[in-house]
Amino acid sequence: MTVFKAFIKIFNKNKSIIIMYSVILILFSVFNMQTSDHSMSFSAEKPNVLIINQDENIGITKDLISYLEKNSKKVKVEKDEDKINDALFYRDVNYVIYIPSGYRKDFLNHKNPKISIKSTKDYYASLAEMLLQRYLKVADTYLATIDDEESIIRYIHDTLNKNVKVEVTSKLDTGHLQKAKLYYNFMNYSVLAGSVYIICLILYSFNEEKIRKRTSISSMNSKRFNQSLLLSNGLFAILLWGFYILLSFLLLGSIMMSVHGGLLILNSFVFAFCALALSFLIGNLVHNKNAINGIVNVLALGSSFLCGAFVPIEWLPKLVLNIAHFLPSYYYIMNNELIVTTEDFSIGMLQPILVNFGIILLFSILFIMISYFVSKTHNKKD
Amino acid sequence: MDKGVIEVDNLTKEYKKLKAVDGLSFTVYKGEILGLLGPNGSGKSTTINCILSLLNFQEGSIKILGQEMSPSAYDIKRKIGVIFQDVAVFEELNVENNIDYFCGLYITDKAKRKQYVNEAIELVGLKDFKKFYPKQLSGGLLRRLNIACGIAHKPEIIFLDEPTVAVDPQSRNHILDGIKKLRENGATIIYTTHYMEEVEILCDRIIILDKGKIIASGTSDELKKLATILEKISVEVCNLAPKYLEDIRKNSNVKEVCYDNHNLVITYYKGKNNLAEFTHYLEGKKIHYNRIFSERPTLNDVFLELTGKGLRD
Repeated sequence: MTVFKAFIKIFNKNKSIIIMYSVILILFSVFNMQTSDHSMSFSAEKPNVLIINQDENIGITKDLISYLEKNSKKVKVEKDEDKINDALFYRDVNYVIYIPSGYRKDFLNHKNPKISIKSTKDYYASLAEMLLQRYLKVADTYLATIDDEESIIRYIHDTLNKNVKVEVTSKLDTGHLQKAKLYYNFMNYSVLAGSVYIICLILYSFNEEKIRKRTSISSMNSKRFNQSLLLSNGLFAILLWGFYILLSFLLLGSIMMSVHGGLLILNSFVFAFCALALSFLIGNLVHNKNAINGIVNVLALGSSFLCGAFVPIEWLPKLVLNIAHFLPSYYYIMNNELIVTTEDFSIGMLQPILVNFGIILLFSILFIMISYFVSKTHNKKD
Repeated sequence: MDKGVIEVDNLTKEYKKLKAVDGLSFTVYKGEILGLLGPNGSGKSTTINCILSLLNFQEGSIKILGQEMSPSAYDIKRKIGVIFQDVAVFEELNVENNIDYFCGLYITDKAKRKQYVNEAIELVGLKDFKKFYPKQLSGGLLRRLNIACGIAHKPEIIFLDEPTVAVDPQSRNHILDGIKKLRENGATIIYTTHYMEEVEILCDRIIILDKGKIIASGTSDELKKLATILEKISVEVCNLAPKYLEDIRKNSNVKEVCYDNHNLVITYYKGKNNLAEFTHYLEGKKIHYNRIFSERPTLNDVFLELTGKGLRD
């Protein structure tokens, strides 16, 4: 109890650090809840298209123009190349289609006439390109077997007017799960920074050479002393983790009662254990109190940025992700991503999540082993 | 003082090729204050660290209260208190909590510990500073806290490693009084210091170490007898002619004569009536003098003679 009581008193002197990290986590979560919209509704987008027709506006040419105008926003720009280029530059137009003179005639005569285009090469330009290519491919298909222009146009209409009904059958509460994922991803930073900072500070106090010497000559069994210190740190890590879990229930509500919520909690527990092991290692390596702050910033902020705790993992460059593979945070965040997108929790679907658990635990064992080795080296009585 | 509480026999500690402690043997008796004297690097701290099992050693044996000392000899450790030169306390704990923590490493009974902590606070005079944090204490008060942390569990054997370094006179007196009280309460004390006056005031026996070996041991008076000089006579005299200095030097009992800034210091070998003969000489030569006094050899003189260097070299 002596060691535990001293641990609590030293923690009390440093509790402002934990309060600070918790406030950051709460602010981040509240901000996310107000800004994130992950609903499953879709609306069609129409590109801005300018059509410059140098052919007669009849037959297949007229029908092509009519189709394009129906599925895009018609834009009026003077037929001057400089003005057209300006419109493209300022994104007033996404796609310019030049229908050449004699297009209809050449098309019906199987001469495969070329349509020139200019594009902003963005998402909307791709959409316009898709519309144009769709029409031309369907037209080419019917031209191969039918000679009559009216029939070709009729068949094109029949084909292009067919709608495919798409139904989203997922029952996932995507909006809430995304918020839960963001919270738990950010917890990577809060748990790492909080536990490394506090445990390092406390271990530094207990391991300071003068204090350690005084403890070594005392009648307290060194094994019992180390066990007490280990248990105190373990208890602190569990309480810190429990506090953040409680916060997640308060901030995220009922989603935390689901299987997804349970798995997110389990994942964070495995990670909290790893953070504890890492804190022990750093606590045994650091011999300068002033260095702890710097180490926490590099470690917690660095791994959070590298592994996608602050920004979506899909936005990160490949090189960064390759580096992230060497950090336990990566597997923790990957697991969060997997958990919120998994619907069927069969053994097969859970396998990648379990593998990531295993990797995080292997990291923990590695940290504990190095920590033990460092501690043994320090205690050598030369 | 017939029972040896600490028995060190042929202790040898080597760092690579350097012998820090070289075949050291001595006994500390129950209830005594033993002074360990020696310049920096003489092996004092290494000896203490070996006794406390903080360091491994190559040869010899160490027995405390009749039992072999080892890192796991917790029964013996229970009876030992150590006050190191560096203040070893938690910055995050106040005075009372610091003492309570270190006492708690020995005493598990809560009520007993509370009583011991209060007695330790009383002993070092920190009653008015119980709730102060180490940062808020002066150097002297911090040293008192350091002592309280080392003795709160009422040890039978106490190691004090230069506890009064850089301490103000008031705190120093307080600490020395505290050490005397500890001895009165039956503790055996091993005291290392650079301050001669502290050794003379406190220690029953002194061991002088140099290069890891004992070069002399005994009481303060016994050690002083080892000195070849008997006394130093200092006299304030103006414009003393060189011929008189030559006359004084011719005395076979005089070891050294030094005249600087109207101060004449004469160091004598052992002999009788040195002061009477010298004053008689001055009066005979009609030399006027203002102040004259005689000093007995100090431990530092003994140390200088034995080792060729001062204690603080």
